Amino acid sequence: MAESTGTPTPRPSSSVKLVLLGEAAVGKSSLVMRFVNNDFQENKEPTIGAAFLTQKCNLPNRTIKFEIWDTAGQERFASLAPMYYRNAQAALVVYDITKPQSLTKAQHWVAELQRQASPGIVIALVGNKADLASPGSFPAPGDDADGVEANADAEQDESDARKVPTREAKAYAEEEGLLFYETSAKTGQYVAEVFTAIAHAIPESSLKGPRGVGGQTNLGRDDGARVNLAGPRETGPKEGCAC
Amino acid sequence: MFNNFTSLVQKAQTLIDTAGLTASPSKSPSKSTLFQHQFRLPDSESPLYEITSELTLPLPRSGRQPQDANDVSSQLRGNHYVGRLHLSEHYICFSTQGSSFLSTATTSSSSSFTGQTHGTGPSGNGFTLPLCAVRRVERLNSQSFQFSLAITTSNGYRDVDKKQSTNPNPQRLIVQLAGSRQQCERFCDGLKKGLRAAYKDTQNLNKVVGELYSEYHLADTATSDKEGSTTTQRDPPDTGLGAIYRYPGDARKLRDKAKMRLWKEYMRENGRNATIVRQPTFHKLIRVGLPNRLRGEIWELTSGSLFLRFQNPDLYAEMLKEHEGKQSLAIDEIEKDLNRSLPEYPGFQSEEGIGRLRRVLVAYSWLNPEVGYCQAMNIVVAALLIYMSEAQAFFVLSVLCDRMLPGYYSMTMYGTLLDQKVFESLVEGTMPILWDHLVKSDVQLSVVSLPWFLSLYINSMPLIFAYRVLDVFFLEGPKVLFQIGLAILRINGEELLDAADDGTFISVLKTYFSRLDESAHPKSENPKLRAVTRFQELMVVAFKEFSGITQGTISEQRAKHKDAVLENIENFAKRTSIRNLGPDSKRLSLNDLGFLYDRFYGVLYERQQRTQMIQQEMDRKKKSGRIKATEVVSGVSGDEPEMGRVALGPSPTQMDYAAFREFLAGIAKWAVTDSPSSPSSHVDGEKASYFGNSMRSRSLTISPWGAGPEPADHDFMKRLFRKWDVDSVDTLTLQNVVTGLAHMKGTKDIMANISYFFDLYDDDGDGKIDREGILSMSEALLFLSRRGFETPFPAASPQSDARMGSSIEADELRIENRDEQFLSSVSAFIRRCFEYADADHPSKQIDDSTSALSNFGIGEDEEEEEDEDEALIEIDGTSTSTPKPEHASSPPNGASTSETPSDSASSLPRRDPAAANAALDPSNPLSITLPTFRMLVLADETLEHFFDRALANSFRLSDAPAATASSTLTTFANLGRFTPGVGAGPSSPLPSTAGVVPPGKGLRGVLDNIVTDGMRVATDIRRRMDEAQKELDRGAAQEEDEEDEAEPDERTPGGAYGGDADQRSVRAADRDLLEGAETEDVSSTMGKEGLLNAPGGDGKGRTRAGSEEVGEVLF
Ligand SMILES: Nc1nc2c(ncn2[C@@H]2O[C@H](COP(=O)(O)OP(=O)(O)O)[C@@H](O)[C@H]2O)c(=O)[nH]1
Ligand SMILES: [Mg+2]
Repeated sequence: MAESTGTPTPRPSSSVKLVLLGEAAVGKSSLVMRFVNNDFQENKEPTIGAAFLTQKCNLPNRTIKFEIWDTAGQERFASLAPMYYRNAQAALVVYDITKPQSLTKAQHWVAELQRQASPGIVIALVGNKADLASPGSFPAPGDDADGVEANADAEQDESDARKVPTREAKAYAEEEGLLFYETSAKTGQYVAEVFTAIAHAIPESSLKGPRGVGGQTNLGRDDGARVNLAGPRETGPKEGCAC
Repeated sequence: MFNNFTSLVQKAQTLIDTAGLTASPSKSPSKSTLFQHQFRLPDSESPLYEITSELTLPLPRSGRQPQDANDVSSQLRGNHYVGRLHLSEHYICFSTQGSSFLSTATTSSSSSFTGQTHGTGPSGNGFTLPLCAVRRVERLNSQSFQFSLAITTSNGYRDVDKKQSTNPNPQRLIVQLAGSRQQCERFCDGLKKGLRAAYKDTQNLNKVVGELYSEYHLADTATSDKEGSTTTQRDPPDTGLGAIYRYPGDARKLRDKAKMRLWKEYMRENGRNATIVRQPTFHKLIRVGLPNRLRGEIWELTSGSLFLRFQNPDLYAEMLKEHEGKQSLAIDEIEKDLNRSLPEYPGFQSEEGIGRLRRVLVAYSWLNPEVGYCQAMNIVVAALLIYMSEAQAFFVLSVLCDRMLPGYYSMTMYGTLLDQKVFESLVEGTMPILWDHLVKSDVQLSVVSLPWFLSLYINSMPLIFAYRVLDVFFLEGPKVLFQIGLAILRINGEELLDAADDGTFISVLKTYFSRLDESAHPKSENPKLRAVTRFQELMVVAFKEFSGITQGTISEQRAKHKDAVLENIENFAKRTSIRNLGPDSKRLSLNDLGFLYDRFYGVLYERQQRTQMIQQEMDRKKKSGRIKATEVVSGVSGDEPEMGRVALGPSPTQMDYAAFREFLAGIAKWAVTDSPSSPSSHVDGEKASYFGNSMRSRSLTISPWGAGPEPADHDFMKRLFRKWDVDSVDTLTLQNVVTGLAHMKGTKDIMANISYFFDLYDDDGDGKIDREGILSMSEALLFLSRRGFETPFPAASPQSDARMGSSIEADELRIENRDEQFLSSVSAFIRRCFEYADADHPSKQIDDSTSALSNFGIGEDEEEEEDEDEALIEIDGTSTSTPKPEHASSPPNGASTSETPSDSASSLPRRDPAAANAALDPSNPLSITLPTFRMLVLADETLEHFFDRALANSFRLSDAPAATASSTLTTFANLGRFTPGVGAGPSSPLPSTAGVVPPGKGLRGVLDNIVTDGMRVATDIRRRMDEAQKELDRGAAQEEDEEDEAEPDERTPGGAYGGDADQRSVRAADRDLLEGAETEDVSSTMGKEGLLNAPGGDGKGRTRAGSEEVGEVLF
């Protein structure tokens, strides 16, 4: 079960509304599934509008309970998006590193959020399906955490399905002041890190008061190495609540 | 919406409404819509006759013995229903909902069925009989005070024929008409006609009915009269996947057998499927939940999709066949979701179920490509397929998308968003405390309720309960979704008041849904109360406590929120679209892009509206009042008038040339015509336009340009259109327009502007513009300048310093002067073009270019402009800049260093006459190159200014001074503000010069004269060329040339004239042309050539009329 790290004093807990946006099939639901259930499987749940899930994330000095809205894929549902990103404190804008068009779409979402969402929203740009890039192009498990940047040069690999260079997306993210990660929902690579980074980036001031206490998942930064292991990862009690 | 459109629609509506009232034909189509909605009939039906009447039905189980129809006493025993009998083309309907569809009926009386229905749904108690299901109609007891009809239906009729014994009792409906004898007879005549015509439909009916379970079920037990006999000859009809994979829920617990028996009994007495008569028991039987085998059939019946299937029984199969093997985006999307549609149901774990689902969704996506496929449809259709055949589900889906859930699954899903808004507002109204709590805790209700509506509770509640909701939904309509939703919140109110975030809120409801089968009062002493399940409680709360929520309520609410919702969607679409415009668009400001977006779609939309309005006006008899009728029924006018609105779904995105003209007229005052056709005149000028039949609008009686100014049609506009139409498809997208404007307006680089203009006229792209092109260019310059410019030109005129005693006069003077200045610049330009043109002859060209180079090899110009670029150096071999009048450059030939030329052109070296002659010689093809063109432009301060700023600024977008008041991102909504003559000041709707000229001051006339003068210069040159040509033809070329040359020479700067003499001389010369025989000459030339267009571009005869036109031009 969860390593409750034996912390005797309960950390203050606050909930953070997070919305996932991005083109259909970039792996939004898979990312959430990985984060919430540490699982990767074909999505069998039909999503109408958006699926709602929750997951806790323990930081050294507090617990963040993510309330995750995973928006539906079809293009026409885009006009419902404002309903979901309204009041969101964080957003995961996802693209597929094998589909350049999906980055363009992601950029649109970023622009939309910057213009329409709550002012302090923390946005993470996430290039998913990094496992499809050739090994040289993606930091192997156990690599230095800096690997994300290190792969910039190795884009010419033959078997590489990558179409969006890390450099390009990263530059864009930096320009716009976004968090940036390349992940794989399939292997779990950097999935937890994204959420942890977001948890850290949420300004204390924008946190709502504590809400309910529940199971914990230790997703502290220090656990990064564990996440990179391909094997099953222990998680806390599943608080996921699909609707 | 934008103002002027709203007014258009209002105008259309009053037009239509009054039309509907005054011209009162026996059938009024607005009533048709209402009629169709009440009885759930296809769009083809209209109420032809109606009459108040009383329906008498035999008492249950009393009709076993053959009754004597003529026995009055037997009639008196039975259920009596007072209501209205309606006759349409193919149906005879009776309803206790006494709506009247007479053309004289008020809206409230023809929509009374949208009010309280007491559980009977809009069609109330009664029947909806296809005429082809009527076997016989008899007139009963013809006493003078009674007029009764006995209608024998096909139900049981056949049985009588074939197997005398089985059903001795064909269904007979006794209707007593209450009206004057004449009314009754008219009704009967109509009925007779209808019956005769309906005979041919019998086959369709039999075919469809034969596939229904009720038919099988009743016939089956009829033939095998004795229980236990298993002589079932035919296979049971397809009653959905449930028949193969079991129906959801426990049949015993659902008391399916008992329900089946009750239905059987009901149908034996009241007819089945098409001939069923609705009595209170019918509605009760639906309320308690339909039995598995009949569920699909009753849904079909109550939703009215059965009637669609009668109409076209093979449509489903045909759709599939017709589109077999084709691919589409919808199909791809469907494919992705097939495995995610009720995956827990065994039928959808098999290829059989998946196959059915795929076929229905695909067939519908072809039937209605505007909707195509929307996620959630997969879930709804999957749920339907458990109880019905593919064809049945196909038609139910069609009724859902078209009528019951308008706009839910559309491209923008506006119906979904709208109903969420409606739901929220109902919650606010009925549960204010809960609503306040939601607002306080920042929980958005619709994120929770949206799936309820979009997938009809199918994914939210356990299936068996969702089906119970559907049973009532199909009978009573969409209001049921709202009633159930409100009841859910009411029942969970207390717990929800404790929930402070989305998560808790959702989990409260999730828990509730999972316990719907539990007792609502588990602790109650009363065993009866204890037996009440939470679902039953939900139904009671929904339909008792919220019985006040009627279809009328929903329509009203929809109408109230519609605009806000559509506007939100449109803003969203706009933001998205603007972001998609690509890198070129970055040259324009966000406000400008927003403005262009609005203007672009605004024009397309308005044009579509106008076409439709005109269309409607033309056949108003057929369509009158439909808009209003649909609004009463659904709150959303799904009819044509709003089609094309971005938020409602696919709308036009392509702008043809006519629309482009209109677009330009809204952003540039030069694009407004000088000679508007009178509003009522028959306009089909477009047909003759360059682009032939590109015009979509028909001959109009209303101004074809709507409220905006009528656009000009000038060669320049055509060229612009073609240049922007990069894909050569004869239409422009927003992308094309933005890119085009970005190049013209978004660049601060005069060189780029000059080459862009040059390219417009370089038809074959060879870098050269020939004689025709030069003339066209000059015409364009005059055309563009004829109303002056926003950007003040450098004051080169003495008048600009004039003291302003009377400001208007001063203004006039200034403008006049400015335009004169432009005019003279253009005439000088034309002249120089021909002087410096390169003859299109190889050897000559070399000569010319070398001479040009040597001529222009001036290096010593002092003024270095910021616009300076290498391109210029390329041309001249040196850097030159616009010579200013004060700084006379020294011509290399040293001819006139001592001159004091005021015309900038004077700084240009003169060519030797021979070259100029050659250029004018039509037999000698000539052309100017971009470098020459640049040089000529830069040689003239006025033209330089024109290309530097004035041309770009002549496009007035959002950032234009006039519009700064609302320069926040403009929305569709405030677009109207800009439409009437953007160039004009806000107070003056007429396009006028620089917005300063008060109309009626006559200044326009002056301007027109000047412009016309300019045109004449061009014409004059052309005439002289023609003359030269003639001379050549006569073989007397050389000597005569001098005569022709004399005039230009006279005016050539650097001659004996100083100061502004040149200007004056031009004008003097031009004035000459205006008078006397010359004028005749000019116009005749024009008539012959037809090449020179007057400012309005309306071609022949314009120029001649030039000066008299003044009064007319001012509208
Ligand atoms: N190779 C690989 N496939 C992925 C990854 N994430 C998602 N997918 C696949 O991409 C498809 C779409 O995923 P889904 O989560 O439904 O995307 P969504 O539409 O954005 O929610 C599925 O077939 C997933 O199995 C990943 O990290 N790597
Ligand atoms: Mg998804």
